Amino acid sequence: MASVKLTKVKKIYDNNVVAVHDFDLDIHDKEFVVFVGPSGCGKSTTLRMIAGLEDISEGTVEIDGEVVNDLQPKDRGIAMVFQNYALYPHMTVYDNIAFSLRLNKVPEDVVYEKVTKAAGVLGITEYLMRKPRALSGGQRQRVAIGRAMVRDSKVFLMDEPLSNLDAKLRNQMRAEIILLRQKLDTTFIYVTHDQTEAMTLGDRIVIMKDGYIMQVGTPTEVFEMPENLFVAEFIGAPKMNIVKTNLVKEGSQYFVTPFGAKIPVTGEKGKLLAEKNVQSQEILLGVRPEHMVLGSEGQTSIPCKLVVNEMMGSEFHLHADTADGSRLIVRVPTIDLDKEGRSALVGGHDLHVTFEGKAMHFFDPSTEKNLLV
Amino acid sequence: MKQYSDLEYLRLSKGQKFTYKLTSFFTAIPRGIGHFFANIGLYIKKGVTGVGSELKDIGSTFVNGDWKTKTSFVVMGFGNLARGQILRGLLFLFFEVVFIAYMIFGGAHWMSMVPSLGKVGPSNEYDPVLDIYTTVYNDNSFKILLYGVLTIFFIVAFIYTWRVNVRQNKIMEQILRSGKKLKADKDDLRSMVDENFHATLLALPMTGILVFTVMPIVFMILVAFTNYDGSHNGYSNNLFTWVGLDNFNTLFSWTGGAGGGQSYSATFGEILAWTLIWAFLATFTNYFLGMFVAMMINKKGIHLKKVWRTVLVMTIAIPQFISLLYVSKMFARNGLINLSLMDLGWIKQPLPFWEDATWARVTVVLINIWIGIPHLMLITTGILMNIPADLYESARIDGANAWQQYRKITLPYMLFITGPYLLTSFTGNMNNFNVIYLLTGGAPTNPAASGAAGSVGYTDLLITWLFKITTGADSQYYLASVVGIMVFVVVAFISLVVYNVLPSIKNEEDYQ
Amino acid sequence: MNQKRHMGLKALNRASNTAIYILLIIISVVWLIPFVFILLQSFRVESTYQVGYVIPHQWGWQNYINLWNSDFKRWYLNTFIIALASAVLVTVIQLCMSYTLSRFRFKLRGPLMRFMLILGMFPGMLTMIILYRVLSDLGLTQANAVPGLILVGVASSGMGYYVSKGFFDTIPKSLDEAARVDGATRFQVLYKIILPLSKPIVIYTILTAFMGPWGDYVFARYVAMGTSAGYNVAVGMYSWLTNDQIARMYTTFCAGGVIVAVPVTILFLCLQKYYVEGVTGGAVKG
Repeated sequence: MASVKLTKVKKIYDNNVVAVHDFDLDIHDKEFVVFVGPSGCGKSTTLRMIAGLEDISEGTVEIDGEVVNDLQPKDRGIAMVFQNYALYPHMTVYDNIAFSLRLNKVPEDVVYEKVTKAAGVLGITEYLMRKPRALSGGQRQRVAIGRAMVRDSKVFLMDEPLSNLDAKLRNQMRAEIILLRQKLDTTFIYVTHDQTEAMTLGDRIVIMKDGYIMQVGTPTEVFEMPENLFVAEFIGAPKMNIVKTNLVKEGSQYFVTPFGAKIPVTGEKGKLLAEKNVQSQEILLGVRPEHMVLGSEGQTSIPCKLVVNEMMGSEFHLHADTADGSRLIVRVPTIDLDKEGRSALVGGHDLHVTFEGKAMHFFDPSTEKNLLV
Repeated sequence: MKQYSDLEYLRLSKGQKFTYKLTSFFTAIPRGIGHFFANIGLYIKKGVTGVGSELKDIGSTFVNGDWKTKTSFVVMGFGNLARGQILRGLLFLFFEVVFIAYMIFGGAHWMSMVPSLGKVGPSNEYDPVLDIYTTVYNDNSFKILLYGVLTIFFIVAFIYTWRVNVRQNKIMEQILRSGKKLKADKDDLRSMVDENFHATLLALPMTGILVFTVMPIVFMILVAFTNYDGSHNGYSNNLFTWVGLDNFNTLFSWTGGAGGGQSYSATFGEILAWTLIWAFLATFTNYFLGMFVAMMINKKGIHLKKVWRTVLVMTIAIPQFISLLYVSKMFARNGLINLSLMDLGWIKQPLPFWEDATWARVTVVLINIWIGIPHLMLITTGILMNIPADLYESARIDGANAWQQYRKITLPYMLFITGPYLLTSFTGNMNNFNVIYLLTGGAPTNPAASGAAGSVGYTDLLITWLFKITTGADSQYYLASVVGIMVFVVVAFISLVVYNVLPSIKNEEDYQ
Repeated sequence: MNQKRHMGLKALNRASNTAIYILLIIISVVWLIPFVFILLQSFRVESTYQVGYVIPHQWGWQNYINLWNSDFKRWYLNTFIIALASAVLVTVIQLCMSYTLSRFRFKLRGPLMRFMLILGMFPGMLTMIILYRVLSDLGLTQANAVPGLILVGVASSGMGYYVSKGFFDTIPKSLDEAARVDGATRFQVLYKIILPLSKPIVIYTILTAFMGPWGDYVFARYVAMGTSAGYNVAVGMYSWLTNDQIARMYTTFCAGGVIVAVPVTILFLCLQKYYVEGVTGGAVKG
């Protein structure tokens, strides 16, 4: 129902610390946008500026084309779910959800209808007369969502809503938020530090660091074509292996030469390098653990020594050290190894790791930017 | 001083560590003070540049403003009225009218008298009709000073309001130029319970503080530079007037005071020393004993916790003047304790609880423990219960005995949390009028010191001395003011040192 | 060996518990005994001065009757009015102040708090002289001391905001924010969210504001300036223990002490829970 537009939004605190630098973003109607980044990156601050809980030092925030910089939170047409739920402890669940409606002088029977409907959707009807402290974490979360739902707001803001839940409940609530989104059909802005949440929930992801936007894109875009080293390492788990090495151009063919190996760049990536006419140079080479495979000794493989072997169930995470002591992580599906192969994977075992040319990411060592963007 | 790195520090012996810490503590003090003065300098610089830019802004507002803005420079609120903000405009205008009226009908007169504090004192004049001499009262120094201070406050407030009025015009022009609408009166009223709710909430308390705390303090600071006392009360006997720094000279002179006693500075030094000793003893005896009692009650396996606590808490409820006065009389020469001990034949002479300096000082500290422990017990109980139990569990697994647990876990935790409380408690005890005054009234008299001002006793604190000075026969208000300022200096100095040196004074926001 | 140590520990524990019980009993006695003495002596009728025994030889109500016939009634009423008025007004002012300083981040907040900290370092006694003169110009001294004392006591009470601010600081700010997003004005946030959650600190503030005036001595004496009609209980009863009156009035003082202490103590014990919460929750954080 509403678009949100941030133009050169900046947050400077009293002590002259800049929390958010020139934040530019266009959020379309009914889009689900996730702000993600490590703590202190300014994602919550940005959300709170949209909500009106934090003053905007510079720039403008528009909701539905109207500049809302000077509007009070209640006049911005937003609803918000807080990290610690922020349920009013002295009110019952019913009163909590009804609070905003009553402030707007909605007739009591309409309140009843709306609250019970929201409670029905969220499955908390039987708890309506309880106080928040008598509820479990997941139930409190639902109440917080219910409270935001009944406001019929133009924009739905969520500030790390799942981070106080345990892992199992978090997965479950994540799925429910996807369902909720389908039902509400409104604009969502969601803040999290968890890249899995960001990837699974967002239509678009805004990755932030130290107050700067590092990349904006769909989950596929940020995963497959990270614009810089930070995004490459932040998205995906375990994180991408980064190796300092050389890119060598021989005729029209590119090679990388990590640890004495020589591996050709193939497929799309090779073509792109040629298109950009990239010359031989020192680079940071990135390869995701799941794109690394165990191979045999040879020109195209890197020799290393296994240090730790983590059994994750469906896969093994092999932590191996190369000759110069840098650590590589290799993900091997359990199913790919027979009993004999598994028993060999103990600390001190020699491994030979290789990867395909299409799985490579190239970053400039000084700017840390992706060479292909 | 040599700075050690963390790893170097770890290699030091125990004694070296201690001296290192001690020296770094003391070297931090001048740094803290330097820091303070640097800050003051910074504030002054900020203030000067601030005034400069304000003046520039006022000038440019006038030059660039339209005729409504220009008129507002003389008629406050005109810009608001002309642009439809009736409420704000009327408030500005009203304030200006009141100010001008006040200045014409009194303010200007009082201000003109402030430099002299009155010229004509009371005089005896012959009344030819009744054929008698009557006293005619003329100028009143006290009122001149009081209304002078008030007028200065008023002038500052007026300048500030005038500045706000000018700035508002500038803002209004900007808003109108950008094609937006000005806030209506309705919005202004609404914002008083919303965006500007803090101003609404603070208006009343701050007015009270301004009128009944700030103004009197400013007044009394000024009194320190006059000769206001019982024989110069400024009206019915003699006027008082400015004497510059004379009173500070008197307090700090080493020559003997009136009546051949010791000098003011010696008296002041003696009382200050006892005040500091008292504050130290009163704070820390209460603190540690209160903690001890709390720990006893809290100990696992002790029953009737509620009863013990209630017994102590009950004593908080009883007004202090009853308990202090009663206990004071209990320890008197012919009080319950002396009489019953003599009846029992244990002593022949009454014990000199209030007659001997040392006895009196010790007794005061002991009774203060009796007064203070319940309160400290309550405070420490809350914190003790908040110490995470797993700290003790892990210490026990590491093999710590009860004393080591106290030394290594309880005490550091308590000191960390209660650091700020200890500081306020210390300065509070320095000014603990009630306990001293109601128990001893300062007695026993210190004959050497008493020549200086009022009758000074061995248990007198600066604050009770100050009280005696103002109520004594010659009511040396000017001296009381000087002593009051000195109390402030001492308290501020201690607070400053502690705040700058103690690492445990935490950021306020950390709590939220 | 291990078994032995285990037993030793238990015995040690029992011994230390016994020692603690003994200490606690001694402490309770020491802390309560002066009040028991006051109570007993208030019923002593054979003499009115200090004596070397505690249990009266002759019991009677004479001291309380003396009390009734003295100015004590007036003093008591004065104090009660002051206490009641400050309980209401001081509470309002302190809560306004502390709530604002805890919740709002406005430009002058920091300077204001620092300013009040510095202001608090001046001995309050210093301002008595001028406040007395101002009150006397307003006609609020001597027999009219009551409104004068209320005025001065209430006016500067904003400075004592620390304890309740400490409490407000413990209420999560996200509650305010949630309410503001829900459509509440700042006033509604205070009225509908914060106040219902602040019962302990409100009661604590009322209680302390009510109890304060019962022990208020110095300024009250200054303002009353020897006019008995303007005394509060502390000033009035203090005059009974001066050297020329103590021999006649000592037991009457004890009776007065009982009459003053009993209602206040009962009130306090009823609300003890909130007082403890206030002290432990707010006082230390300051």
